[in-house]
Amino acid sequence: MKLMKKTMLLAPAVALGLTAMGAAPAMADHAEGSYSTMLNQVNSSGASGEAWVTVEGSQATVTIETSGLAETFKDAAYPHVQHIHIGAQGTCPTMADDANGDGVISTVEGKPAYGAIGTTLSVGSAAKDASTATDVTVAPSGSSYTYKETFELNEKTQDALANGTAVAVVHGLNPANQPAAATETMSGLPGAAKLPLAATAPALCGPLQMMPAGGADTGVTPTEQGGANEMGMYALGGGLIAAAGAGYAIRRSKVAAR
Amino acid sequence: MDASRPVSLTIGALDRTSKIIETGLRDDRTLEVPPEHEGAPASWFTGSPTPGQRGPAVLLGHVNSTADDSGVFYNLDALEQGDQISVTRTDGTRAIFEVYKSELYPKNDFPTKAVYSPTPGAELRLITCDGFTASSGDFVKNLVIYAKLVDTA
Repeated sequence: MKLMKKTMLLAPAVALGLTAMGAAPAMADHAEGSYSTMLNQVNSSGASGEAWVTVEGSQATVTIETSGLAETFKDAAYPHVQHIHIGAQGTCPTMADDANGDGVISTVEGKPAYGAIGTTLSVGSAAKDASTATDVTVAPSGSSYTYKETFELNEKTQDALANGTAVAVVHGLNPANQPAAATETMSGLPGAAKLPLAATAPALCGPLQMMPAGGADTGVTPTEQGGANEMGMYALGGGLIAAAGAGYAIRRSKVAAR
Repeated sequence: MDASRPVSLTIGALDRTSKIIETGLRDDRTLEVPPEHEGAPASWFTGSPTPGQRGPAVLLGHVNSTADDSGVFYNLDALEQGDQISVTRTDGTRAIFEVYKSELYPKNDFPTKAVYSPTPGAELRLITCDGFTASSGDFVKNLVIYAKLVDTA
């Protein structure tokens, strides 16, 4: 029962430092860690991919792998602008989000699900904020590519990663497998107003999920009758404030993970 | 397969069936685990794809319980390449996986990327503990079973 004693002693100290369990505290390193997602097709693009983000301090290394995207645009390699969207539900849009019913989920129609642009995943030293959001000259291109860049990640994207609302989105559809609206309608987006809808609509999307740190405590220490888990639930049910509960969880796992 | 949350799993070779509950991450980003009592179910890590979707779906189960040596993931090391694991999902479909690898890792040197990283196809990871050390009362290793989707029903 040494475990129980330690956690109970620690709880008041932690309660002073933490105010809420859900909200990410505004610390410099709160997004540290690894995130990943499967990129799944939007707008029946036929594409697929994976995304990884590793955050160290405020530096992020972002890797995007794609295949099956639109290959050429006006006889050149098709540019695919890509972003980390933030600040909404942290999910990917479905056809139910096609608000105007034209058969294409536009970038704007996807916004209630994935949010606004937090970071533009541009190539090389090009700006990574919203200023390059629609700049096709600094976007990766072609049907399949591996994108890998390390850069300073802005605070709001760090916040979104930490609270689970960051979504990786790759844009640009092949008009050949899209409804007529994809080519007949212009996107209307700032900086890309005269590009057809297909050029800017989302093709791949995946919510960036925090990857677990290490293995799992899936063995029960035999001497602990009742089990640490049940004790934790009991303590919460007994009216401890949420912050103390969070502190308990941190402490418990550190002890148990030895 | 489309996303659909798992409800139960069956491991034919071990004559094992369990309900599946859902667990997430703790504040320190380690995996939450299922309850520890006798008969406790396995759990699906909600930060991983649902079983049958593209990517590695992560299922956790205790090797033992507070009352018994045989937890829901007891004896997983007996699984062999080709053994099947069937996961029933809320939409009524079943995702059937085949074991292709079984690895034992020290907890203090756990290859997080290899185990949790996105995979092009639909895969499954069963994670449990191993390496019980009497002196400390701790399990110092994790056993990870790797399986690939081979069929749906």
